[in-house]
Amino acid sequence: MENSEKKKPKLKMAVYWGAACGGCCVSVLDVHEKLFDITELADLVFWPIALDVKYDDVRAMPNGYIDVTLFNGAIRNSENQYMAMLLREKSKILVAYGSCAHLGGIPGLANFTNRDGIFERVYDTSESTVNPEKTRPQLKTQVPEGELHLPYFFDDVLALDQVVCVDYYVPGCPPQTERLVEVFMAIATGATLPSKKTVLGAWDKTQCDECIRTKTDKKTIKEFRRPYEIEDDGETCFLEQGVICMGPATRGGCGYRCIKGNAPCKGCYGPSPDISDPGAKMISSIGTMIDSNDPVEISEIVDQVADPAGTFYRFSLPGSIIRRKIL
Amino acid sequence: MEFQPTIISFLCNWCSYTGADLAGTSRMKYAPNIRIIRIMCSGRVDPTFVLKSFREGADGVLICGCHPGDCHYHEGNYKCLRRFKLLHKYIQQMGIHKDRLRLEWISASEGRQFADLVDNMTERLMELGPSPIKEIMEIA
Amino acid sequence: MEEPRIGVYVCWCGTNIEKVVDVAEVAKAMEKLPNVVLSKNYKYMCSDPGQDLIIKDIKENNLNRIVVSACSPRIHELTFRKTLEKAGLNPYLLQMANIREHVSWVHDDKKAATDKAKSLVAAAVTRVNHHEELQKRTVDINPATLIIGGGIAGLTAALEIADAGKKVFLLEKTNHLGGVVAGIDQSFPYFDSAQQIIQQFIKRIKQHENVEVLLNTKAENITGYVGNFKMPLPMLGIDAELEFGNIIVATGLKPYDPSAIREYGYGYLPNVITSLEFEKMLMSGKIETKDGKTPEDILIIHCVGSRNKNCHEYCSRTCCMTALKFATQLRSALPKANIYQAYADMRSFGKDCEELYLKASQKDIMFLMYDQQKYLPEIRRAPNREKCEMLVEIEEILSGDMVEVPADLVILMTAMEAHEDVKDVARTVGVSLCGNDFFIERHPKLDPVATTTDGVFIAGTCQAPKDIPDSVAQAKAAAARVLSSIDVGQVEIEVTTAFTNEDLCCGCQTCISVCPYKAIGFNEENRVSVVNEILCKGCGTCSSACPTGAIRTRHFTDKQIMSQIEGMLSMTKRKSKKTELEV
Repeated sequence: MENSEKKKPKLKMAVYWGAACGGCCVSVLDVHEKLFDITELADLVFWPIALDVKYDDVRAMPNGYIDVTLFNGAIRNSENQYMAMLLREKSKILVAYGSCAHLGGIPGLANFTNRDGIFERVYDTSESTVNPEKTRPQLKTQVPEGELHLPYFFDDVLALDQVVCVDYYVPGCPPQTERLVEVFMAIATGATLPSKKTVLGAWDKTQCDECIRTKTDKKTIKEFRRPYEIEDDGETCFLEQGVICMGPATRGGCGYRCIKGNAPCKGCYGPSPDISDPGAKMISSIGTMIDSNDPVEISEIVDQVADPAGTFYRFSLPGSIIRRKIL
Repeated sequence: MEFQPTIISFLCNWCSYTGADLAGTSRMKYAPNIRIIRIMCSGRVDPTFVLKSFREGADGVLICGCHPGDCHYHEGNYKCLRRFKLLHKYIQQMGIHKDRLRLEWISASEGRQFADLVDNMTERLMELGPSPIKEIMEIA
Repeated sequence: MEEPRIGVYVCWCGTNIEKVVDVAEVAKAMEKLPNVVLSKNYKYMCSDPGQDLIIKDIKENNLNRIVVSACSPRIHELTFRKTLEKAGLNPYLLQMANIREHVSWVHDDKKAATDKAKSLVAAAVTRVNHHEELQKRTVDINPATLIIGGGIAGLTAALEIADAGKKVFLLEKTNHLGGVVAGIDQSFPYFDSAQQIIQQFIKRIKQHENVEVLLNTKAENITGYVGNFKMPLPMLGIDAELEFGNIIVATGLKPYDPSAIREYGYGYLPNVITSLEFEKMLMSGKIETKDGKTPEDILIIHCVGSRNKNCHEYCSRTCCMTALKFATQLRSALPKANIYQAYADMRSFGKDCEELYLKASQKDIMFLMYDQQKYLPEIRRAPNREKCEMLVEIEEILSGDMVEVPADLVILMTAMEAHEDVKDVARTVGVSLCGNDFFIERHPKLDPVATTTDGVFIAGTCQAPKDIPDSVAQAKAAAARVLSSIDVGQVEIEVTTAFTNEDLCCGCQTCISVCPYKAIGFNEENRVSVVNEILCKGCGTCSSACPTGAIRTRHFTDKQIMSQIEGMLSMTKRKSKKTELEV
């Protein structure tokens, strides 16, 4: 028995980023000395941020060659989409790693506009831009050395599972490193994996379950407040102080890091298992808390929520029911 | 052919659904564009249902409950009103025309008002034209 | 649970549905939907052969889900649930689609109506896939009954129940029993003494060992549910409360205040009086004007506040007969007086009522017909008070003449209307009111005594204007319903309640203050919310307020409603656009 254990080949693992900030890759590095445990069990075969492995090398791999790919970042352009499809083909298990791959994440907020809107802002109207010729990125550019290619920039930002089949999700912006290690160890040691499509590395129960702030049934809101507008005692539930906290609708597992830092939860861990649209759920829940039966007063209170879409869908817009603005 | 909108509507069992039934028993004619889903109380209406309706192709969504003060469950309609206001702000931010979502109070005796409401909303949606949401949301 | 096997039944309702909706086409369209085993149309699904058809199909085809597309579920959901039970299926595996009240009766265009019916039935089919078996629950019935209102209906019901040996709490908001009937002299059509009837009732009630009368007491803050209601009595001490299993609402109506009708001058013309004021005069035995003179000319005006869109559009039902009773009484008291009746339509239905009209019309009484929608009789002070007190201008529509009638006394046959506080009563007992503020019965024809709230019954004029025999009949019917429920001893209660999935509940406690019935508590040990399903009435507000999806409302789950939305829109075809991803 012991022999067969030893002979077990090392896992082949890949980490890739789509439209991402790089934080997810850093969270993988954040395993610190546990990296030795990981490399004991797995070979990293592809990881652009850390290893010099070319796309051609990936293309050369046989299908299913990679055991696990952690794909972070959303799908913003044709390169992201191509790599998602390629890595899907090459991987036995494809994990949507982090909020962007899971539900679209912060880049997903670009779905309030589209390609033209973004290009206009970035290449024309931004305060630091001087571009009288209105130059735009070109898909092909001829240079003396040959033809240069840029990926096609989509109108929409998509979550990973909107372009390829995803086996598991590890949520978070970025995922809590301890959770990554747990998930990795489970895969590496051959523990029985949960059924496909499950969220790993996060609890079914939402943030309030672990949050140690004092919660009561007095969840009524007469006035919405921004965090800087309250004298926070560090103990009272944010919602009970009129501050929108996505905690009730957001999976636990992060160790309620934001709340510990005296900031309300923003929702990066995504919704609990039965919820199809965390923003709508939170609109429902917080709407119910409004402490008035008078239509005019309710409107006044609602007006204090400056940006409902950005507040309730900060990390989940592409993955939600209305996944982009109707332009 | 003239565009015919589809309205998904959520009616509370005690007042509005009964009011719609009364329109029926009184043989009041109204636009055939509405599709009614019965719920026990307008307080059961989850914004998810509204968004889902738009996503699946509804051109408009109508929520009806008991008049303020008349809720069979005391205050469900107020809870609905509060959520509605926040949801209404959200959908407008998402570029969905405000007239595509309405909340109205219909009592058990207001068959006529219900029929008129359906006609009125249908007419407005015809002006607004087909909702593009379903098409835009589809990912090929 | 095993794979859904769905049977779909599209009812014709005779021609009610069939003449507008292509029932065969609707049934055929459903055959293609997933899990539909068979789809049929039939002339009357609610008839015995219709129900037998379902039972036979369930048995022969192992159906485990049924969709009946027919009338409103408010009418026949219970019928078909029982059908499923007879076939050995859980009754909640049924879904109805309302294609009569919501389709065939409100639309003329056959194509549009058929399309709409298809989408409603498809929604029912997709929904029923997610239906779950729900287990019935029963509670014991507290044999005491609360009766709200001490008028003829309340007194009758109280006696009926008390005589059967059951406890009754009789609530009366004023300081005396008897209601409107206590202010009436004789009743029509037989001229027997209303006083004798009501005073006898009051005497018996006061002496009855099973009746506890609470005067000056309003029905307030009633909590609980069928079989187990409670009402606090703060004036009797902090913990004092009544406990009872059923409620009969018999709050009656009040006379309309005619001072709002300018033409009649009620309030400033001293000799314009209401019918109830005239009853008082009759009881005192002295028919006279304010100055103490015997009136020579007397006019009785019908439909005051009734059948007029400026007041109440409904007919108050008793005024015509009361007016004829007055004319008859006046004729025997004042053989020489001129008696006029200004009426809109003479409504003398009911046993021996037309006969009373006939007799009255032979007593030298002048009947003048007016159009109460257009020209109300106009009363003004007579310039020469020697001859008569007032002059009344009436457009008599049978002759087409404008006539001027002298009058020393005018009796206004005032309407019956709801009490101002009826909404408070409605709220505390959880029963809806119609547009005229009458209580809504469970079914206008088949169940006019019960309400949609289990354990709450209605009797007398609070349900609609009616005369003494009808009030008494309804009161006895309500009492019979209460007694039969006490006799059974147990009642099935709401099964479509909310419950918490403790594996998902995060303990945020949002739901607790949302519940109007205080049915949700917090378990401090497990840090989860817990629904008391006995108190829960299944409104579902907590499920929508719950941010985690931990609270589900049985029979109205997110999945069921969402699938209904999908099914409803699955029949609407629109071209779909390829997105740029395919580029």
